[in-house]
Amino acid sequence: MFLKIENITIRLGKFNLKDIHLEVKEGQYVTIIGPSGSGKSILLENIAGFYTPNKGKVYLKGEDITYKNIEDINISIVYQDYVLFPHMSVYENILYGLKKKSTQKADHDKEVREIAALLNIDHLLERKPLTLSGGEMQRTSIARALVVKPELLLMDEAFSALDYKIKKEMRKLVKDVAKKYGTTVLHVTHDFEDVWAMADMCVVLRFGEILQVGKPDEIFAHPNSDFVANFVGTNIFEATVVRKEPDLTILKADGFEVYSSCEAKIGEKVRLSIRPENIIITTTKIETSAKNEIEGMIIKVEKRGHIMELSVQVNSIILIVMMTPNSYEHLSLALHSHVFLSFKATSVGLY
Amino acid sequence: MNFFTFKFFSIALSLCVTLLLLMAILSLFFVPKFEEVLEALQSSEMLYSLKLSLMTASLSTLLVIAVAIPIAYALSRYDFFGKAILKTIMNLPMAFPELVLGLALLLLFSRTYVGDLLHYFGISIVFTKSAIVIAQFFTALPYGIRIVYAAFEGISKRYENVSRSLGYTEFQTFKNITIPLVRNGIYASTIITFARTMGAFGAVLILAGGTYMKTEILPITLFLNISYGNLGMAITSGIVLITISFIAILFFEYMEGKKSVFED
Repeated sequence: MFLKIENITIRLGKFNLKDIHLEVKEGQYVTIIGPSGSGKSILLENIAGFYTPNKGKVYLKGEDITYKNIEDINISIVYQDYVLFPHMSVYENILYGLKKKSTQKADHDKEVREIAALLNIDHLLERKPLTLSGGEMQRTSIARALVVKPELLLMDEAFSALDYKIKKEMRKLVKDVAKKYGTTVLHVTHDFEDVWAMADMCVVLRFGEILQVGKPDEIFAHPNSDFVANFVGTNIFEATVVRKEPDLTILKADGFEVYSSCEAKIGEKVRLSIRPENIIITTTKIETSAKNEIEGMIIKVEKRGHIMELSVQVNSIILIVMMTPNSYEHLSLALHSHVFLSFKATSVGLY
Repeated sequence: MNFFTFKFFSIALSLCVTLLLLMAILSLFFVPKFEEVLEALQSSEMLYSLKLSLMTASLSTLLVIAVAIPIAYALSRYDFFGKAILKTIMNLPMAFPELVLGLALLLLFSRTYVGDLLHYFGISIVFTKSAIVIAQFFTALPYGIRIVYAAFEGISKRYENVSRSLGYTEFQTFKNITIPLVRNGIYASTIITFARTMGAFGAVLILAGGTYMKTEILPITLFLNISYGNLGMAITSGIVLITISFIAILFFEYMEGKKSVFED
């Protein structure tokens, strides 16, 4: 395994990172999500060597790096607040790590200019950091981290201070550059768009414990707990397995039936999860391949940027459904409209 | 309209106290006759005192800064056993009278193993010029540490983390990153320390003895001459001290007003 975090425990006064176990393959892009204070940044800084654990080990390419000197581990870190050295130019900032980590002095200039061009900051090399925009500072900080060709790149909410458009550009840029250099990335974020756009694997952390690890699709569609479901904005409600059909489990939830492709035993009480964006909303019954179709009433409408969030009441259960404002208008929907919700059996997760 | 508001009261009080302080300072310049001051300035006692003051204050300032930087860094960056007690002890000389500090140092260098050890190696401290530097050092050290400590606290540890992760050792990071980032704090600390060492009196008097033309620095000149009733010499020492402090503060304001590394 490329990176193995083995039962790491860190006690920091009232906060503890508890028995963290995580395995990451080479070249993977891993996002770590969780509410504030869940220990995401401490986990990253522990991997980099800034925190010594009370218990457990960290292995990089099979080598135990738990107590190794920070400067001897080939891991780079990028912070949200860029942390560019203000007394050095952009060029000197990028060169700083190279001077220590690469012995080929003759190639230094070429390498700095190459990564600067890749990150579109080659025209800023003589500038001091504080004359740059947020996006330019973050590109510089990423260039400084990547130019030393780290085995592992750690990003601590690296995009959160950037505006929407720059963030979108940065996601593509970082993903492309990490791929080009074959860098394994661990990226702490609060933004689910980072997860969707970049992650091969996602880790959910809460109160210093890992709650779920998996592909983003798995985490968002099949959360393993109420907390993860709520955190990632997935609909959850209770249901009981009433019968089985080939490849299907049929559940009863407050007066209506739901088909799921997940396995469960008859009579078992489970929690059921459906992503809001996997539900199709119509005003009349439609012919569709979706196994599930239920009737409800819109009780709340909220506009969230370019997305409409509708709360639909089905008996005592409230489901959140997402749609575009155009579709909302096209269907002539309004508060208290009666609607039909359709979703595939494969979209229904059980835990 | 009510003129006696809190705003009015606080501004009026500030002006009154400042005026009083200004009058006190100006009286130093206007009370004596110009010829008297000129004569005192050229006297061998004043020249000796000024030279010794500048030499000892410069040396003790250098020593304070050399010690304050690592101590302030340790207090700011590391957690260790007894850190809180160490901080309190370091700050103590700021809180208790200089005379008591002088007495404590006198006992340390004469009645303890430290004194015995120095005596064994033929080094005598008490009532010598070295005693002036030591007394000034301990008087100014807490001020020096406090200012540099505040500068280190103002710098995110993340700068050091990034430098370490880019292959630099703790000391290389301290030298290449931390020190340039706290540059202005070190300047400020140096100026304040220098002003403090120039004005140190009580501790110097007890430990160095305040002997005429031997351990006589400017505050001692002022004290000795006022005791003899030689007002002209006493006032002139005061003027010289005020002028040096004023230049130091002006330099401090200039350095503070200069762009920091964060604004380049």
